[in-house]
Parts: sequence; structure tokens; C-alpha cells
Amino acid sequence: MASIPIQPLSQTRSRTRWRLSRPSLGRSALARHEAKWGLIFISLWIFGFFAFTLLPMIASLIFSVTNLSFEQSTPLRFVGLDNFAAALTDHTTWDSLAVTFRFAAFNLPIAIVVPFAVALVLNSRYLRATGIFRTLFFLPYVIPFVSGVLAWQGMLNLETGWVNLFLKMVGVQNPPNWLQDTTLIYPSLAFIGLWGIGAGVIVNLAGLKGIPTELYDAAKIDGAGWWASLRNVTLPMMSPVIFYSLILGIVDVLQYFLVPLVLYNGTGEPGGSTLFFNLLLYNNAFQFNRYAYGATLAWVLFAITLAVTLIVFRTSRRWVYYAGER
Amino acid sequence: MTARLFRPGVLLATFALLATACGGSNATSSPSTAASSAPSVVASEPASAGPATVPPGGPVEIRWYCCLGGGEAPEQKAVEDKVVADFNASHPNIHLTFEVVTYDQANGQLATELQSGNPPDIVGPVGIGGANAFHGKWLDLAPLIQKTNYDLSGFPSNVVDIYKLDEGQVGIPFAIYPSALFYRKGLFEEAGLAEPPHKYGDKYTLNGQQLDWNYDTIRQVAKLLTVDKNNKDATQGGFDPKNIRQWGLELQRDDLRGMGAYFGSGSLVAADGKTAQIPNDWAVAWKFYYQSIWTDHISLTGPQFESKDINPEDYPFFAGNTAMSENFLWSTYGVGKLDDWDLAAIPTENGKVTAAFNADTFRILKSTKHPDEAFEVLKYLLGDAAPALLTTYGGFPARTAQQASGIAALQAQFKNQVDWQVAIDGIQYADEPNFEAPMPNYNEALKLVGSGGTYLTNWGNKPGLDMDTEINKLRADLQKVFDAGG
Repeated sequence: MASIPIQPLSQTRSRTRWRLSRPSLGRSALARHEAKWGLIFISLWIFGFFAFTLLPMIASLIFSVTNLSFEQSTPLRFVGLDNFAAALTDHTTWDSLAVTFRFAAFNLPIAIVVPFAVALVLNSRYLRATGIFRTLFFLPYVIPFVSGVLAWQGMLNLETGWVNLFLKMVGVQNPPNWLQDTTLIYPSLAFIGLWGIGAGVIVNLAGLKGIPTELYDAAKIDGAGWWASLRNVTLPMMSPVIFYSLILGIVDVLQYFLVPLVLYNGTGEPGGSTLFFNLLLYNNAFQFNRYAYGATLAWVLFAITLAVTLIVFRTSRRWVYYAGER
Repeated sequence: MTARLFRPGVLLATFALLATACGGSNATSSPSTAASSAPSVVASEPASAGPATVPPGGPVEIRWYCCLGGGEAPEQKAVEDKVVADFNASHPNIHLTFEVVTYDQANGQLATELQSGNPPDIVGPVGIGGANAFHGKWLDLAPLIQKTNYDLSGFPSNVVDIYKLDEGQVGIPFAIYPSALFYRKGLFEEAGLAEPPHKYGDKYTLNGQQLDWNYDTIRQVAKLLTVDKNNKDATQGGFDPKNIRQWGLELQRDDLRGMGAYFGSGSLVAADGKTAQIPNDWAVAWKFYYQSIWTDHISLTGPQFESKDINPEDYPFFAGNTAMSENFLWSTYGVGKLDDWDLAAIPTENGKVTAAFNADTFRILKSTKHPDEAFEVLKYLLGDAAPALLTTYGGFPARTAQQASGIAALQAQFKNQVDWQVAIDGIQYADEPNFEAPMPNYNEALKLVGSGGTYLTNWGNKPGLDMDTEINKLRADLQKVFDAGG
């Protein structure tokens, strides 16, 4: 009987790798056809990315090493890292960074925990009419955010806001001036931010729906209660979603801008507590027409955001669980 | 979900978010021209005659940039388009084009066009303050006025002088907005008070006494007109300042400079062009304002002013719950719901009347390559096109000869008879220099003193401040801003 030649395992693996490493696209007429249409479909995005993202980024990098401004009292010239040095020695930069990180420390946990908690409730089998609740939670998200901010400005008004009217009704004699008190401003802003948690709730809910029920069944057989299931099944399985929310939350909070601009016209009131870094950038670049300095601040913000994000990425190996990962 | 797929996805999303970090729009104060529902106005000066032939190189292109101060509404654009078409039809040597940029974007876009070397030729309508964001960029019209013998005698001379700056004669008057004291007759009658004087220099009768019409008198009157929910006025025992239903007086609080200008002319920058100063009259005005809110309770607090329940339409006087209000003539856009309002004289401070003044016009940029043709367009806008444009912008004509018909057009909008002569008389008391005159680092300085600015907000929200300290702090902050502007 002729022996059947057995291919060594290492060769098989090697061939598989070779096959995977070479793009299959372009090898057949069908693949070429698909590739062509794929490129056609994404060409608009690619054009938009180059024209409206990459080129402006390159331009802003060039601006940041010049003395470009609206006044242009001295001729346009290369100034090296002078703008960066000026930014780093200006106490306003550090003040606004402190404001941003203080608010981040307050707001980030809320922005992550609340949508997760709401999603948990919405995912509960004991909750009736979940569709209605999901819609209700998502509805504010589709309202233009500026309109939402203006509505909240009214709600938090010292004299006629519903929040203070309620407080007066329950006996609070002198309810606070929510939007003008430096000690209450961050809770107020976080409160306003909760208006837009709809998208976060949906993402969390999708994550919860994706957890295999067998895991809960197994946990139940092992005697796990609600809390143990949450801790040992839900949280690990949701960790990629939480990680995703955290990364987006960090990027969002470091770019926090719209609410203080609408509420305080970008002045940083009350008492400088809302002069967020991105607002400082916006004021310099677009209000005071200091283009080079504004571009510099944008790159500083980029660097800070990237650094924080990468640090979080590094830590993710310790606490984010991917089901398919070896 | 696998890490291999997930991590690059998150990184890509992060990068995209970082890359699109900034942007936004300039959401600041309201435009300086009123809505298009305003008065129809006047006949113009004789038609300006353009050359009848097309030059060999073709017509010169002149770009008209709008809307740093209103003019973007569809009905306004229709009028503007017609003005352009009519101009082009009658001026074969010039091809006028019209560029509309919405108010919230207009400032930034004009700055960009200037910086990129692609600026328009003529800009407007634009207020004094709006134009000062581009201080140094405007063309001195004096040589062109002289060259073409353009007649300025039809305008009040003090209004012409408003446009005389260190840059030269940067504008010719077009639409003006003198200020006056708006008041509600019914509330005076209800309180048993005499109406405020309409004629500058007249006395006010209070409790049988003839008093000078000054800020002390107006404070006394305002207290009597400030009423709480128990119908007690602010002079009576038991008056409840926490439950006021009607306020006596509202100062113009769009801008600390404007508020100050009702007490006397001045500037926040000294003659050297770089030192911050606080005019004495303005300090008095700001203390009066602060006292009005927190001690006398005759004016709304900041939160009350911001409340849409109390102040639903820009100014409390519009809602009918304020008896007297200093404001500009453009604010007639909001008083239509009241049927008992009228105009009275601005009170004196130290025996002198100063009525803060707003004005809009068209300006030519210094960078224009065709100043003669741009001036031809300017003359057309201020002449033949003025009636239609003033009507659609709601502007009151700066030309003295056109003001009677301007008044008629204004009066046609209201059921009650208004003493418009008060506003006309106010023109002679226009503040000089104008409160919106240039300052170093103009836009940044406005963050301190302008609409929604730091100090206006703080004073309206915080009782118990020491105003001398506050004013000194403001001066120091202004100096920092001026210095930062180089």
C-alpha cells in the first residue's frame, strides 16, 4: 500500500500565513471588480479626509511654527517652537488644562456609569415596555445639543428654573444659582451632559444583549446572585464596551467646548471655572484671530489627548476582556 | 469581539475624533440692524450717474460683502439682489457682485478673506463696533469725498464725525439709531406720576416739586414704579424684593461701554492708544446699575434678565413689565405689543445729556484695487439704493432731509402716537467719541465688557460686590488684554 505523504505541520502553517499575508484582492476578476467598487464607494470619504482633515491638520502644523495672525503687524516668518514655548509659559494654558482635567475627573465616571446603569435597567427582564423607555432615553440625543443647552439654562435659572422652583416647593429657602456658583458649576454641567446619554445607553445595551445567556445560566448553577453575576459575568463581558466608552469619553471631555460657549459666551465664567482648554483654543484661533497660537494650542491638545488615550490603551490589557482572544 | 479587530477600530475612531477636534461658530450678540419688518423710508438724493461705456478691459468687478450687521434675511437679500441688478444695469463700467455670509460666520469669514489676500471691496451694513473688529483695514474716504465733491452737508455733522477715526474718514452715515428713554404711559398713570419730559432741558414734577431730569430723579421715579406681588412699591415698608412683578428702570445692558455712554462720552483706552482707563462717568453709570439691581431693586437681576419667563424677548421693556428703559431706536422692533409706550428725554448726569448712539453704514476696505469704482458703489448704496435698503434693514435715515419720512414710516407701524421728535433731538447728544470706538485687541476686550461679558454677567449675578474694587479690577484686566494685543 502506497504511503500517503504527510505534510509537516510547520509547512501547512507557513503556507497559511503566506496566503493570509498576500491580499486576495486583485487576484481574480471578481476580486478586482469588488476592489474597484470598494474604492469608488470610499473615494468620497478619502477625498473628504484629505481635503477637510489631513490638509487642515498639516496647515495647522505649519501655522503653529509661524507668526501668522490677523493683524500681522510683523511680516510672516518661521518662529520655530516659540508659540509652543509661549503656550507652555502662559498661566492661562495651565489654568485651562486644570479646569479641563478637574471637570474630566468629575464628569467621566458619570458619563460612563450612568449610561451603563440605565442600559442595565433597560435590559432587565422585569422591565415592561422596554421599547418605550429606550425611545425615551434616546429622544434627547436627536435634539440639537445647543437647543438642549438653552433649555437647561432655563431649567437651572435661579429665579424661574424648574429645578429651583421644585426646591422652593420642598422648602429650600435660598436655592442655589446653579450656573453662576463655582462650587456647583461642574455638577450642573455634568447634569446637562446627561441629556445626551442616549447614544451611550444604546451602545451599552447592544453590549449587554451580546452577552451569551449560557454564562448567566452557568453562574446561576454555581450559585451566583445578581451582584456576583454582574461582577463576574456582565462587567468582564462588557469591558470592551466600557473601554470604548472610556476612550470616547476622554476624547470628548478633553474637547469639551459647546456648553460653556453657549452658556457663557466663551468668557470662562463663573470665575474662570469654564475656561476649558478647547475654549481657550477656540477663542484664540477664531475670536481673537491669533491663528498661529490657536494652531499651537490645537496641537498641544492633540498631544495631550493622544498621550492620555495611549496610557489608557496600555492599561486595557489588564482589565479589558476579549472573548476571542487567546 | 476580538482584540485584533477591536483595538485598531477604537484607535481609528480616536484618531478621527482628535483630528476633528476644533471648529464652531461665533455665536455672539445680535445684529446691529433690526429685522426687516421695520419702517419704509424716504426718498433719496439724485441718482448718481455712472459712466455709460464699458472700459476696454471689461467692467471692473466690485464685491459687496454682507452681513456683519444684518441683511441676511431672505426678504432682505431679495432687495439687495435687486439693488445689485439695478446698479449693474446703470453702471456698465462696474460689475457689482453680492456676497451673503450669515451674521454668525461673517466676522470669521471676512477675517479669512482678508488674511488670504482675497478680500471684498465694500462691506456692509456694519455697525461701529462690528467694523472695529477690523480696525486699520478700512479705507480713508476723505480723498474720494474731496475728489468727487461728495456732499456731506445733508448729514448731522456730529454723526459724520463719528466715522472720523485715526484711520481717517472711514464711513459716511447711512442708518442711525439715536437713543431715548422708552416708557409706558399706563404705568405712570397707574402710579399717579407725571410722565417723564419729552423735551431736553425740561424739569420733572414729582410731589409738586420741579426737579431736574437727572439720574437721581429717575431713580426716585423708578422706585415708585417698582412693584412687588403685594402691590407695594420700592419706597414702601414691607416691599418684597424677592417677588417683584414690575420693575421701574432698565438701563441698556448690552455692553458696559454703552451703558456708560448714557452718563457721558468716553473711551476705555487713553489717548496714547494703549493705556486702559475707566471714564469717571462710566464708573458712575456702573455703580448706578449695580445699585439699581441690588440695593434699589428697580432693575432686573442677571438671572431675572436671563429668564425667558420674565424677559422672553431680548429686553424686559418688550414684555411690558418694566416702566422705563434706555435703548436705541432700533429697539422699536420689539415694542409692537405695547399700546401705551412713548419716548422721553435721556436724563442728565452732572447737568449734561449724553445719548448713546448706534449707526450702520457701508465701508470700503483699504485693500481694494479699485477705490474709485468702490466709491461709486458706495455712493449708489447711500443714494439711489438707500430708500429700499433702509426700509428692508429697518434703519432710520441719517440724512436730515429724509428723517421726516423716516418718522412717518416708523409711526405707521404703531397704533399709539409716539413722540419721535425726542429721538431726533437725541441725535445732537450722541456720544463723542462713540462708545464702540476702537480698542487694542478689540475682540478680546469685548469678552470683558461686551454682551455676555465677564463683568456684566458678574455684576448682574453677584450681590455684595465692592464696585470700586470691581472697576479697578476691570481696568487691570483690560490693561492685560490691551498689552496682549501688542
